[in-house]
Amino acid sequence: MYNSYGNPPGMQMPPTGQMPSGHPQPGQFDNPFYGAGSGLIRTGLGAYGERFLGSSSEFMQSNINRYLSNPQYYFHVNDQYVRNKLKVILFPFLHRGHWTRISEPVGGRLSYKPPIFDINAPDLYIPFMAFGSFIILAGFTLGFMGKFSPEAINLQFTRGLIGWALQTVILKGLVYLMGGGEVPLLDLVAYGGYLFAGLSLAVVSRLLSAYSYYVMMPWMSLCMGVFLVRTMKRVLFTEMRSSERHSSRQHYFLLFLAIAQFPLFFWLGNIGA
Amino acid sequence: MAKEFSVPPVVFTPSAPTHRRHPPPGTGASPPPAFAPPRPSTSSTANPLPFMSFDVGTGASSSSPPLFAGPIGVGSGASFEDEPPLLEELGINTRQIWRKTLSIIHPFRSADPTLHADADLSGPFLFLLSFGLFQLLAGKFHFGIVLGWVTVASLFLYFVFSMLSGGRCGDLDLYRCVSLVGYCMLPMVIFSAVSLFLPRGGGLIFGVGMGFVLWSTRVCIRLLSELASSGEEHRGLIAYACWLIYMLFSLLVVF
Repeated sequence: MYNSYGNPPGMQMPPTGQMPSGHPQPGQFDNPFYGAGSGLIRTGLGAYGERFLGSSSEFMQSNINRYLSNPQYYFHVNDQYVRNKLKVILFPFLHRGHWTRISEPVGGRLSYKPPIFDINAPDLYIPFMAFGSFIILAGFTLGFMGKFSPEAINLQFTRGLIGWALQTVILKGLVYLMGGGEVPLLDLVAYGGYLFAGLSLAVVSRLLSAYSYYVMMPWMSLCMGVFLVRTMKRVLFTEMRSSERHSSRQHYFLLFLAIAQFPLFFWLGNIGA
Repeated sequence: MAKEFSVPPVVFTPSAPTHRRHPPPGTGASPPPAFAPPRPSTSSTANPLPFMSFDVGTGASSSSPPLFAGPIGVGSGASFEDEPPLLEELGINTRQIWRKTLSIIHPFRSADPTLHADADLSGPFLFLLSFGLFQLLAGKFHFGIVLGWVTVASLFLYFVFSMLSGGRCGDLDLYRCVSLVGYCMLPMVIFSAVSLFLPRGGGLIFGVGMGFVLWSTRVCIRLLSELASSGEEHRGLIAYACWLIYMLFSLLVVF
């Protein structure tokens, strides 16, 4: 989609594949679309857009529904939710309320209320925005260190994606090992993506003062660990009502989850390497 | 064994400049031309052969396909003067591009809201080229990077916007989104030009850059809410996404 960071700088390659080149080139008369101009490009791009992100009804009807629940649910947010959720993520100790999600029976199945009504519901807006902020802040950090180049940004993008995937895999592994079945994948992706909020805050503090990094990073890891432990505990509790596993095994796994945040944060926050 | 080809005579009609070429014969004495649309005198159409035309009907006497296909859209009936002008054929409406550019430059005067409903990619392409050009003047070769990042950024914005507005909302499709992101790059282009004269690494360039990024974001939000009707309640959320995109491009300029 975009230039891989393996290209040497200065090599110019037009984007191939997904986006058709947005300008028919005059002067090449063997171009069969010579007369069609931008109309074809327009319909092409429109069709690509439709294909990538079909409407929610398409998701409901297709098989994908089993693996990827409707992503629109996760974007049903507003300003106030975002602010409060950020407070919960960054300072989970201060959250006095309960951590369970509000459920409502919809058409016979039990489903959860969307994030706009429920502070404990996961959303995908914050992870995406936090990821973007992380990329921008990584760019600034690299720039101040004098190591900025677009390929380095692409590298940070890839590292961020890998970190996100790793976090999701850890969460998914936890759910699988505990025997709970039906947690939607996008829920775990959302929980996994929340780490970028704390990470971005830590990187901002590093930009402002060099030593605060050593304070903020462990603090943010701890906060994220607490948040995830509390959330996953609730998730597992609701999933495994039948088998009564308040055993020490569950507690060990949750402890592992909390401790695994520290290396993850330090690896992602190590921008200069 | 020598084959015999019916060689049509060369006729120069006074009405239209006609260049008839002989079809490249197997044993001809004249050198075969690079292109040879054959038009025997028994052709069905009465018009003289135009300069560039591809006629499929008279394949009987042709011995080799013309290497120079020519524009199919023109057709075999139109003469050279009847062809539409090049820019119009390409779909580049320069007057529209200029008007859209002006609507972005005046940040406080909202122009005709349907101006940007008709999306095109040639204006953004021009802006991206000039952005690359100013970067080149600063010693950085970023053409491919800018193209790739604009693609990713438009996809990101389209995804977030369509999800936030609840599915297919308004008439923002991917084409319009790319066009929008490209047009709102104009302040970044101006910033990259201005940054050539500012001292590198100073606080001034950061302040100026932030101003231009905010200008870009503002214009983008204004155009998005004009294009898609339900942009009002999610303005702050979308604004943050746009701000991220233009901060990314300002990173290219500043560092």
